Amino acid sequence: MAGAGRDERAWVRAAQRGSASDLEALFHAHWPAAYRAAYLVIHDAALAEDVAQEAFLAAIRNLDRFDRRRPFGPWLHRIAVNRAIDAARARALRRESELVEETASAEDHEPVDDSVLRALGALPPEQRAVIVLRHLLGYTPGEISSLLELPRGTVNSRLRRGLDAMREEL
Amino acid sequence: MRDELERIAIPDADAASERARAVVLAAFREREPVTRPRRGRRVALGVVLAACAVALAAASPPGMAVVDRVREVVGIERSAPALFSLPAAGRLLVGSDAGVWVVDQDGSKRLLSGYREASWSPFGRFIVATRRNELAALEPDGDVRWTLARPGVAQARWGGTETDTRIAYADRTGIRVVAGDGTGDRLLAPADRAPFAWRPGARHVLAYVSASELRVQDTDTGQVLWRGNRGLNAPVRALEWSDDGRRLLVLSPYGLRVYEGRGRLAVHREAPDAGRFTDAAFIPGTHRVVLLRNAGDVVYLDTQRTIFRGSGLASVIPSPTQGWLLVTWPRADQWVFVGSGGRLRATADVTDQFHSRSGFPRVEGWCCAKR
Repeated sequence: MAGAGRDERAWVRAAQRGSASDLEALFHAHWPAAYRAAYLVIHDAALAEDVAQEAFLAAIRNLDRFDRRRPFGPWLHRIAVNRAIDAARARALRRESELVEETASAEDHEPVDDSVLRALGALPPEQRAVIVLRHLLGYTPGEISSLLELPRGTVNSRLRRGLDAMREEL
Repeated sequence: MRDELERIAIPDADAASERARAVVLAAFREREPVTRPRRGRRVALGVVLAACAVALAAASPPGMAVVDRVREVVGIERSAPALFSLPAAGRLLVGSDAGVWVVDQDGSKRLLSGYREASWSPFGRFIVATRRNELAALEPDGDVRWTLARPGVAQARWGGTETDTRIAYADRTGIRVVAGDGTGDRLLAPADRAPFAWRPGARHVLAYVSASELRVQDTDTGQVLWRGNRGLNAPVRALEWSDDGRRLLVLSPYGLRVYEGRGRLAVHREAPDAGRFTDAAFIPGTHRVVLLRNAGDVVYLDTQRTIFRGSGLASVIPSPTQGWLLVTWPRADQWVFVGSGGRLRATADVTDQFHSRSGFPRVEGWCCAKR
């Protein structure tokens, strides 16, 4: 995991004592993965920014209570991914209105091969989340089960169904 | 698979990281010691007990007298029975069940009946008002200059210079823009509705909140000048530019953000765990923000100095010239004008004065303090 180990524990300890530079070090170590994970679950950059940012703010609010013997990453990822699932579900309800924005902004970017993104986007948010946790962030199914508070069998079935669907799409 | 997922390009990722870094560090620097849950529980219990007492009192016919007495002890004791005058220059626009009211400084009122909501033109010479399916430009004496029939008109704001103005309004199609003379009506943002605010100045620049972001857009060219974080899943309660157009305030129940320049976040405050932000506004001619917290405390954001305190306050509206704040207080059925140095002027029976049957009148603007 990014930022894991002794450095991270030292950053958390110093941040708990009020060190902004150590908090910034934690931010730099964990923002890219948290933001990317949120984006891959939500498929909306602005919303993913909000979600990842809110996850960091929630972490700061609870920093005093954080057990620094434990790794920071899973704690942050649990908040970010759970919020991303909620945001993706909410966004699905207003998909029709979002299409106008997506079409308009697509002209602003270089064409890229977005087949994986599209295949991932075709899955329900819950399946996207387990695939992102497993294949982007590297958690084991057991760890994902704990992060999302799901039975391990559910995690395994979501992974399997999600990957099968992506293969068909690709 | 991991490589594939890491290769996916995220639009604007570097800028997002920089914005988030600034917000997170600002929040970290401003974080306060852990809140006091025991006190919160006592307050919550007090609220429940008070609610029970009021409900019991209201349950019986003699109880109505008790409710009236309870009402009497809420609010400023020595309040004027009517709004005899405003303490500072300017005119108020007030929305009530009966329509929209224009209140002059000498306390005289004119009803523009049938309109649901209104706001001032940039220099206070005209009013744009809405009915269910109509947008209308009026003179303050009620003369109609033009109307535009549109389905489900919900809100309208007038911006621009003395010679070239635009009106932004929302209807069922989204946010639309029309010139101040009622011509050139067009759709700006499909599917978005409100709130929105014109940046003061010659360019016709509108800030509005979309489903996922804050957007600042030149309405003549269509160019989005910058985008910002709107806060997560919460309605935006206030969106307002400073008089010089250099700062933009965005308030939700959970957070207050002030942007400057091209979307640089200058201030970010989060509501405490059990708290909510109710309203906020710039003090005219300054970048100073006055904030209403928990419907009870009016404070300056920079110094946190308490200006006024009550229970069940709804909004704060600064006078167009510095020196007074109008605090609306539905629970006491009062308006309280709070002056510098702690001067207070209260007026009672606001609901009756504006012929409102089902709701407390809303102050739409204190000309030319734009809302």
